[in-house]
Amino acid sequence: MKIAVPSTEPTLEGYVANKIGTASYLLIIETYDMSFEAIDAPSQSSGAGAGVRALSLVMDKGAQVILVGHISPFIVNGFADQGIKIVTQVSGKVGETVKNYMDALDTRQNNPDPQPETPSSQDQWRAAMDMGLRQFRAFLPLVTGVVLLLGLFQGFISEQKLVSLFSGTVLQDSFWGACMGSILTGNPVNSYVIAKSLFSMGVGISGITALMLTWVNVGLIQLPAEAKALGTGFALVRNLAGFIMAVIISCVISMFAGGWI
Amino acid sequence: MNQKKWFIFQRMMPMIRPWLFPLGVVCLYGIGLMLAPENTEKAFDKSCSIFRHLVLPICLCLIMMVALNRFLSPKTVTQFLGKSSGIKGLFISSLAGILSMGPVYAWYPLFKSMKEKGTTNFHLANFMGCRSIKPVLLPVLVGYLGWRFAGVFVLACLAGAFLVACIVSLFCSESPPN
Repeated sequence: MKIAVPSTEPTLEGYVANKIGTASYLLIIETYDMSFEAIDAPSQSSGAGAGVRALSLVMDKGAQVILVGHISPFIVNGFADQGIKIVTQVSGKVGETVKNYMDALDTRQNNPDPQPETPSSQDQWRAAMDMGLRQFRAFLPLVTGVVLLLGLFQGFISEQKLVSLFSGTVLQDSFWGACMGSILTGNPVNSYVIAKSLFSMGVGISGITALMLTWVNVGLIQLPAEAKALGTGFALVRNLAGFIMAVIISCVISMFAGGWI
Repeated sequence: MNQKKWFIFQRMMPMIRPWLFPLGVVCLYGIGLMLAPENTEKAFDKSCSIFRHLVLPICLCLIMMVALNRFLSPKTVTQFLGKSSGIKGLFISSLAGILSMGPVYAWYPLFKSMKEKGTTNFHLANFMGCRSIKPVLLPVLVGYLGWRFAGVFVLACLAGAFLVACIVSLFCSESPPN
């Protein structure tokens, strides 16, 4: 049987690493004769991806068991489904740990335990919390940048400058309304207030409808953040489709329901 | 010595890289402060105000993400918001969009997590489109622009969200759940 152990050294004298993503080496040990292969672990510079690549590497090497200090219970469950056992809370020298595991396995085979090991509810909550915080931490810099950029835009470009763009034709007003809504963002109430003030300045229903439709749906400034979360293709197609749809819908409303409204 | 510095720099780079964009914007503030201090101060106040308004939605989003990670498996998400969820999926994603609050960028981590768990592009786009409808703000909308406009606007939002979602699902390929 092959056992994979993330280690601090490329020998059996190294210590079991706490996390697979932060280990310097991955040892693939053949338990039959304790022969082993030491692989350089994926670089930590790839962040959270290093762990995933390390796991995929040991899977490719045919490891059936992974001994490690800590790993998410979700990963343990996922690998269990594929017939790979991950044993956590392991520490000490690699060679000794593997021998201890094999001894424990022999004992268990003599007295089989029908109950499968499942992570406790507390562990699952902790893992969910860890994952949530990690996902959020990854977005924090981008959200900070977007907010600062929004403030900069709102501080330098006045509403009066934007209002002067509207000419009175349905299509042009829709277009500029959609442009304005795509750049500005914030609470939808702000779009109601701007729409009302534009309306009282004589801007047509098409312009204000387009502005309000794109206010929440299309975001030019937050486009990098959306692209990071959902992919560049998704972000571009969704925002472009939202923009065009807002122009079309506001023109249709203006033409067919403008008088009634 | 230089090698050691280079090694430290290489270790630090993954931590610094995500902050390059906000640092770039901070530099813009610096330039703005030199050229137009009044406008830059106004811009900074606006940013602070946006940050203050973000606190509640971010907390809400974080709680939802933890709950989602704890209770929802890719299988469950696929069942409700996956390809075969049908009209039920459309209804759920619309309702979720209508009830979600706060700026959209506070929700991106949740969207990413949902996508990884198997939510389709159609349902994500529909969710995002329906965010234009805010039940709590409906009285304000009616007060400002009249009930006729409010009614037409809500219908336009629903139709727009659905059509945009159709376009997105047509042009963007789905990735399998993690």
